[in-house]
This record gives sequence, structure tokens and C-alpha cells, in this order.
Amino acid sequence: MARHIVNIVVIWVVLTVLGALVLTLDYLPVIGAEYSEEFDGIFRLLAFMGLPVLTFVFAWVGYSFFAFRQRTGESEGPAWWGRNWVPIAWLAVTASLAITVMIYPGLTGLAKLQADPRGYGWGETGADLVVKVTGFRWSWAFEYPEQGITVNAVQGRELVLPVDATVRFEVNSTDVVHSFWIPAFRMKIDAIPGRTTYMVVKPVATGSYAEDQAFRAQCAELCGLDHSKMVLPVRVVEREEFEAWVQQMKAQ
Amino acid sequence: MYALISIASGVASGLIGFYVGVGLTALVRVAFGHSPWDAQISITVGYIFGLVGWLMGIGMWGAWGREWFGLPTYARKAPGWQRYFVFNSDHKVIGIQYLVTFVVVFLLAGLLAMVMRAELAQAGNQFLSNDQYNAVMGLHGILMIAVAVAAVIGGIGNYAVPLMIGAQDMAFPRLNALTYWLNPPVALLLLLTPALGGLETGWTAYPPLSVLTENAQLLFNLAIITFGLTSILGGLNFIATIIFLRAPGMTWGRLPIFVWSMFVASWLALLFTQGFAAALLMVLLDRAFGMSFFNAEAGGDPLLYQHVFWFYSHPAVYIMVVPGFGLALELITHFSRKPLFAYKYAVGGLLGILGLSGLVWAHHMFTSGMPNYLHGPFLALTEAISIPTGLIFLSALGTLFMGRLWLKTPMLFAMAVIFNFALGGVTGIFLADVPTDIHLHDTYFVVAHFHYTIVGGEIFALFGAIYYYFPKMTGRMYNETLGKLHFWWMFLGFNVTFFLMHWPGILGMNRRIADYPSSLEGVNLIISIAAFALGASFLVFVYNMVVSWVRGPVAEANPWRARTLEWQTSSPPPIENFPAPPVVRGHPYEYGVPGAVHAIVPTPMPGGAPAGGAK
Ligand SMILES: [Cu+2]
Ligand SMILES: [Cu+2]
Repeated sequence: MARHIVNIVVIWVVLTVLGALVLTLDYLPVIGAEYSEEFDGIFRLLAFMGLPVLTFVFAWVGYSFFAFRQRTGESEGPAWWGRNWVPIAWLAVTASLAITVMIYPGLTGLAKLQADPRGYGWGETGADLVVKVTGFRWSWAFEYPEQGITVNAVQGRELVLPVDATVRFEVNSTDVVHSFWIPAFRMKIDAIPGRTTYMVVKPVATGSYAEDQAFRAQCAELCGLDHSKMVLPVRVVEREEFEAWVQQMKAQ
Repeated sequence: MYALISIASGVASGLIGFYVGVGLTALVRVAFGHSPWDAQISITVGYIFGLVGWLMGIGMWGAWGREWFGLPTYARKAPGWQRYFVFNSDHKVIGIQYLVTFVVVFLLAGLLAMVMRAELAQAGNQFLSNDQYNAVMGLHGILMIAVAVAAVIGGIGNYAVPLMIGAQDMAFPRLNALTYWLNPPVALLLLLTPALGGLETGWTAYPPLSVLTENAQLLFNLAIITFGLTSILGGLNFIATIIFLRAPGMTWGRLPIFVWSMFVASWLALLFTQGFAAALLMVLLDRAFGMSFFNAEAGGDPLLYQHVFWFYSHPAVYIMVVPGFGLALELITHFSRKPLFAYKYAVGGLLGILGLSGLVWAHHMFTSGMPNYLHGPFLALTEAISIPTGLIFLSALGTLFMGRLWLKTPMLFAMAVIFNFALGGVTGIFLADVPTDIHLHDTYFVVAHFHYTIVGGEIFALFGAIYYYFPKMTGRMYNETLGKLHFWWMFLGFNVTFFLMHWPGILGMNRRIADYPSSLEGVNLIISIAAFALGASFLVFVYNMVVSWVRGPVAEANPWRARTLEWQTSSPPPIENFPAPPVVRGHPYEYGVPGAVHAIVPTPMPGGAPAGGAK
């Protein structure tokens, strides 16, 4: 019996190491905002925490498949009922794992994400720039109230943001439920008729849809016919370039 | 002939009912000065009358309705295979009716998935327009949901539960037949949706979109409300059966684990299904009468729907997966030839899931704009549900260890359930955790996750159970080589398809789309090819089932040397299951215990002959 346990543990360790190598690969999208790094950190942490759980089950089931097989179905195994310490130990270990994940990175990450009590902010509550986002079937309109400009699929045709500025999106919908999502920023919030939702983001790198398609304002909630086409490019630019773009838009 | 008369009279009186309903609506509307036809109201009233007409015509009138007027009842007689086409109250017939119906629906919905994967093999729209894609995707979704809810519970549950507890039938046999015959109208309505504009909202039917769309949505709502009724009635029937019809000596502590899982799933169905029905009823009322539950301009709130909907639809995943756990544990203990490890903890795990599953629904709404203070509790409760689920794994892994694994096809499927669900469970943590969910929500990561839990957890268990019970149901044996071929083909196809699918989700591919950014093309092509391979594996399954049912070798009463009661009677069992009630003396899983006795069963009667007559 001890031999089997040792074998399973060896396979478990090998699988975990192999899995960890895979997890060090670069499988995440481009980092567009300060908070993309927070997301990536939590994602990787959860992946490394989940990996040994997964490989434990794989090793156990896989090893049993090869080591404990019989051909005829005639012999029977030992009559073990598990009325001993094993289930209690199992319960203790799984419960402490679950509670650990619940607290860190779960509730601690959530507290940081919800620093702005109205929506998502990752520690940010103020705003250098306000953008009013309106979803409608099947496109977006972005109003910059302080700059006095509006862009949409006809005019401007892209969402332009200055780098290193905190942007507060105030999101609305005029018809059905949409969801405002920029994959490069790892954040989305639904656009709901009749109420405003908030999302605060601070882009940290310049970038554009032409360079990486994660820079896009994508509708993520099924909204009917052209849901898959409800996309506008996003471009993050230097402050001066942003001011120039605002002037250019005003002139139109 | 009998089958034809039964179906034809059902269809005829259903049609008459429909026209009576439409006519009455027209009369009332004209009397109040409206036009005689209003699609929402006329179809709804017509459907209600038509549904009653169909049920009466198919045999409910003869077997049940006549009683209400003091007339003697009668059951339609039908020999051989034709008994599956009449209002038959034998739980074994109903189980097979459910199973065959929903396997057919599964294959159909699987074909729709093939169409979707063909479209998604490349970016851009190749051969489906956006609305065609939405229609295909919505239909695939709801048909598969129906399969996941009904195939194991209605099929395997109906067939096996009364046998396993030593009962003659379900507690309410006629209600059971009614429950089954409510399903064909559901299927008909759903399959008609493409003719009325196609589903635009997916199976989740979020308003305001579902209030504004084509009349296909109306058919969807009527279908789901009816389907909800079958779930509730079925749940009620199982609960009554398991509480009251257990054979003498079948204490709660000796109940086979699959029966326990059915007990838990039935409570879930009974308690929560009305949430889905209520949500869709409100959408229906918004559509038909402009009630404005979800119209923000008139004081309604779209978020109300999401709360009511997920209040059912999260527990629904446990309605699907808990019987899958039960089957997997059941098969693992029989084929490991070892007692079920930590039986009481496994039961406790199932009950823990029952207790927690109603308290986690808003994890589907982390990005919905609901108040911030709700996120924490739902995050914590959702992650807590991994604790009772872990006990299922304890039981499975403990049983496998040092077992004498008899690796027949059903056992392979059962072991795959544990394997697949481990991955589905781990990826669930990313979605329960709000900071990761706000990026991953509504992406292909979610699609991969729930296919791992529902297909990997439940549908694999379903196929394992189909192979396991095939000799009991038909009296014939399936082909083992083809069974194993199907397993390995499906297992590999499934894992390649859905493991890879996480990745485009992480990179930013949202779900429910006909088109996606061109940078995601390569991985999607590989996923599509793997999905076609997965789809092709079912050809092996269908061939094996059909050929073996017609001319497979005659099976023994207990080919698996299993100790539970359903194997102690003939294959197929006689109509009353056991010649006299069995008396239960011990635990059903006492493998490796010399001289152990689960039950004293009177000698089986010659009973049923194998399908197509004995050879
Ligand atoms: Cu959309
Ligand atoms: Cu859920």
C-alpha cells in the first residue's frame, strides 16, 4: 500500500512540475492598464494554486487505471469503508484550501477592486477624464463631456484615451443589456437601460487595435442580431496626442 | 398500428384544442372591439388548449380523465416496441422513452454545435449570417440544457430508482406518464423557433431583448414553462417514491448513492424550477400585455430578471450534475469491486450541495452592475461549495485506491467524470473570484468551463449509465470493443476541444458570436477540427446501440455481478419488477465482505424476453 502511495506522489509531483512549466508560458493578452497586471497576478496565482489539486486527481485516477486493473471481474478489493481519520483529514485540508482562496486572493482582491463604491476601480476613485459610454444595438457612443466631443461608429470611429490618466467610464444603454469590455484592460461592466454603471481604468501603455486586437471596446453581452459586430477600436496615446485628437474632433 | 393510433389521436386532439383556443381568443377580442388575432395572446391561449388536447388524446383521457367523471378507466394496449408510443405508466417504459427521446435531442443539438464550429473555424462570416448563427446557437443551448436536465433524471432515474429501492413502480405512475408526454410539445415548440425568426437571445433570454424580439421567443417561453412543469412534477414523484416506496429494510443508510443523488436533485428541481418559469412568465406578460416588469422607462428593471432567472439556473447545474456524481460513484464502486469509500461523507456532500446551491446565484452577475456589497458574500458562498463537492472526490478516489478495477466501458466513463470534473471545478474558481471573473465573464473561458462540468461531469456519466443499463433494459449485450472505442474517441475529442477553448477566452474572445478578431483564428481552427472528431465519435455509439438492440447476444440478469437490487431480477425485469417485495438485509456495497447479503430477493420470474424475442 505504501508503495502505491509513493508512486502516486511521484507522478503527482512530476505532473505538477510539467504543468507549472506550461503555466509559465505567456498565455495572457497584452497589458493595457495598471489593473491588467493585478488581474494577471491573481490569474497566475489561482492557476498555480489549482494546478496541484488538478494533478492530484489526475495522478490518482491515472495511476489506479494502470496499477489496480483486473481482467475478469472475479476478485474483490479490500472492504474499506473509510470510517477512520481519512475523511476528516480530507475535509480539513479541502476546507482550509477553499477558505484560503476565498480570503486571498478572493475577498482581498475584491476589496481593492471595489475601492470606488459605485463600481470597479482597482483602488482608484477619482478621475482625470470622464467618458460617458452609451450602448445601443449594435454600436457604442463615447461622449467626453469636459472636452465637449462625442465619437461613435460614424464620427471618429474609435475610443481614444490618454496614457497614465485615470478614466471613469459612466455606462448606459438605450435599449437592451450590453456589456462594455476592453480585453487589454481586463475589465467589463454591463450597460443596462435605466441605470448607470461605473468602471475606472488607468491605461499604462500606449497601444491600438491595429497593433493588438485586445485594444477594442467589445460588447460582451448577447444583444441580438449584430452582437458579434458591436466593436469599436481603442487607442491609447500620449497626452499631447490626445489633446491634438480632441482639437481635431472639435473641428469636425 | 397501436402506436399510430395513439400518436395520431394525440396530434388530432392537440390541433383541435389549438384552434378552439385561438377561436375563443378571437371571440373575446372581437367582442371588446379588437382585431381577432394577436400573435402573443392567440398563440399562448391556443397552445394551452392544444397542450391539454394533446395530453388527453395521447391517452390521459382513457387512463386518467375518465375517472373524474366516474367512468371506468382503460389503458391503451400495445405489444412489443409499440408500448413506447402510448400513454404507458410503467416506469421502465417511461425511462426508456425519456432516454431515447433525449439521446435523439442530444444528437440533434450536437449537429447544431458542428454547424457553429464550422462557422467559427475562421474569422468573418463564412456561411451563416449573424441572425442564423444566433438561432443555431440559441437552439443548441436550450436543447442541450433540456438534455442535461431530463436525460439522466427522466431516463436513468425513472428506469433505475424504483428497481434499486425494490419498489414496483414510482409513487404516482400516471403522473409519471403525464410528465413524459409533456415533453414532445416542448421539443416541437423549440424546433419551430427557426420558422418564427429564430432565437435571438440564447437560452438565457435576458430582457429587454427577449421582450423586443421575434415571436420565436414566445414559443421558447411557452416551451420552457411547460418543461419546468415536467421537472417539478418529476421531482415531486421521485421524492414521494424514495420516501415511501423503499423495500423493507432499505434504510436511508443503505440507500444506493445514485438514489441519494436523485433525491437531492429532485429537491432542487422542486424548489427552484419555478424561478425559471416565473422569469419567463414575466417576459411573456411583458410581451403579451406590456406589463413592463423589465421596461426601465415604465419603472421596471432588467436586473430583476437576472436574479429570478439565476435563482433557478444556478441550482439547475446541480440538478444536472448531482445525478451525474451519483452515477459515477455507483459505477466506480461496482467496477472497483470495493465498498463505496466514506459513503456517509459522500451523502453529506450531496446534502451540502443541496443546502448551498440556492445561495450562490449572483456569481453569474458580477459584471451586471448589481450593488457592490453583494459581490463578497456570493464570492465566498460560491467558493464554499467546493467543500461538499470535494467529498464526492474523496469517495471516488478512496474507492478506486487498492480496488480491483474491472475496466468495462461504463467504468471508463465513470472514471472520466472524476477526471473531467476536476478541471471543471478548478476553472470554476477563476469565475467565482470577482477580480478574475470581470475579465473572463461571457468569454470562451466560461464556455469551456461549463462544458467541462456539464458534459464532462454529467453527460459522460449518462453514457456510462447507458452502457451499464443496456443489458438490463434490452436483455441484450452491447459490443464491448465498440463501447471502448466510443469512450476513448469521445474522451480525447472532448478534452482537446474544450481544454483548448479556455485560451481564446483568456485572450479576449467573447461567447455567442458568429465572428471574432482575426488574431484568434489559428486556435479556433484546431478547436473546430477537434470538435468534429468529438461529434464523429457518436456514430460509433449509435451503431453499437442500434445493432446490439436488434441482435446483440442475450444478456444475463446480472452481467456486472453488481450487488444492488436492479440486478437481482431478470433482464429485462418483469412488469412488477420483483415477483414479491425484496427484503433488504445489508449495505448494497459490501464487496470484499465474505457472506455479505444486500437483500433476499425471491427467485426472478421468467419475466420479460430480450428485445426482439429470445434467441
Ligand atoms: Cu452585444
Ligand atoms: Cu452558477
